[in-house]
Amino acid sequence: MKQGFREFLAALEGAGELKHLKKPVDPRHLSALAAQAKEATLFESIVGYSDWRAAGALVSTRKRLALAMGCSERDIASRFESGIRNPIDARLVKDGPCQEVVWEGDRADLTSIPIPLMHVKDGGPYISATLVVSKDPEYGRNVGSYRMMYRTPQETGIDLVSPSDMRLYYQRALDQKRPLPIAVAIGVHPYEMLAASYKAPIDVDELAIAGGLHGAPVELVKCRTVDLEVPADAELVLEGELLPIGWTADEGPFGEFSHITGDVKWNPLFRVTCITHRRDPIFYMLQMPWENDWLAAPVIEAAGLQALRVASVQPVAIRAPIGGCCYWTLVASIKKRPGEGKNALLALLSVAEVKLAIVTDDDINIYDPDELDWAMTFRVQADHDVLVIPGARGKHIDPSVKAWALGKGGLPTTAKLGIDATIPEGVPRSQYERIRYFAKDAVRLEDYL
Amino acid sequence: MSPLAARIVEELRATPRHFAEVVEVHPDVAWRDLLKAWGEVRAAGVLGREDDGRYRIGQ
Repeated sequence: MKQGFREFLAALEGAGELKHLKKPVDPRHLSALAAQAKEATLFESIVGYSDWRAAGALVSTRKRLALAMGCSERDIASRFESGIRNPIDARLVKDGPCQEVVWEGDRADLTSIPIPLMHVKDGGPYISATLVVSKDPEYGRNVGSYRMMYRTPQETGIDLVSPSDMRLYYQRALDQKRPLPIAVAIGVHPYEMLAASYKAPIDVDELAIAGGLHGAPVELVKCRTVDLEVPADAELVLEGELLPIGWTADEGPFGEFSHITGDVKWNPLFRVTCITHRRDPIFYMLQMPWENDWLAAPVIEAAGLQALRVASVQPVAIRAPIGGCCYWTLVASIKKRPGEGKNALLALLSVAEVKLAIVTDDDINIYDPDELDWAMTFRVQADHDVLVIPGARGKHIDPSVKAWALGKGGLPTTAKLGIDATIPEGVPRSQYERIRYFAKDAVRLEDYL
Repeated sequence: MSPLAARIVEELRATPRHFAEVVEVHPDVAWRDLLKAWGEVRAAGVLGREDDGRYRIGQ
């Protein structure tokens, strides 16, 4: 049975990971309050929006992401891989709760939704938890996640700067001077969000990957005003089209997944033709940067595992730490044969924009920062075990690449750093024998209290 | 243009502001009314942007 957004809220509740805020909250304050809670937040009452509730920070920790994925925190990458390996096609159904209420034409009014203002330098209120569905006559359906900035009751900006399949679809539509119909589902299970953040090959349906993660098909309903399908159990759906104006409308800044305020960008516009939602809708506010980061973790960790296997290195554990935004840093432990510490580094540094990779032996618990420091202290000689690869592809939002100096359209490069914290070749493992306490198993502290 | 939208235009004409600063000037306005007024300002095509993201009147 496929889990939905509300089943995930129930799972959070059951695990003591959901805080209910019963007092009325102004949409101006949703994000600031969610940021102060240790748990995920469910806002039971929104000032000026009596029919709505709102939820945020649902997967702001690795623990809650693992809860969504039904696995241990260490297994999120392999769990994600299983979804990729075993896709299940989505299934069309006749109707669904996402269309219990329908607003078309001029009645489709974005101000009827409690879209929050999240950060002090944002260009406007943002819809951050989007599952955007589009279709190309040749390539078929695509699902991705793109932030949307409120502009007018029928219009938003959309960040379509980075390369993506939907950017390609939009460019192809633009070349023919026609709009690109899209549908935006908000309030879906994290599996759908994970699948949307995965850069699947263009002929792979991300919703089939979501189905593989669920172990059951994602059920879809046909949209009312565009020839697209959306998850039937979504809380809210915006239908409409990307206008054929190219990258000409100001959008941003926005608090980016790098934990840094971004720049004003030039992007297309989304014109709304229809809004549908549940009778008692919950607006899902993806809390930046934590939720965005953690939703990237299984994807980047799975890519790291794959790269290691292609390099014939046997991985034991892998971690994309939040300090690297679950995107720029990978730490892995391996069952090492001579030379494989370096091979593993080369493999990990080939993954997307990873710019720092650390490799340890399998006796190191890479989830323990102290263990990792210990390995880097005693198993690393900087003149032998540190790799620097200059001139690799970088990403604009990393300030250290100085993208602002490149001029319009310039692409940044970055240096990549690898640290081989495995036991050096020629050093016997016995040199690392840990201290053990005499009679450790013969006495118990509680017997002496 | 509504009185609130016209006020926002005059405020931005006097001082470029981030959207959050526009919001802070009108703490007692209902969120939906503020969004509607902002939509009117947007639709009027009078907004420009500073390099740091602040809105101004004029391109």
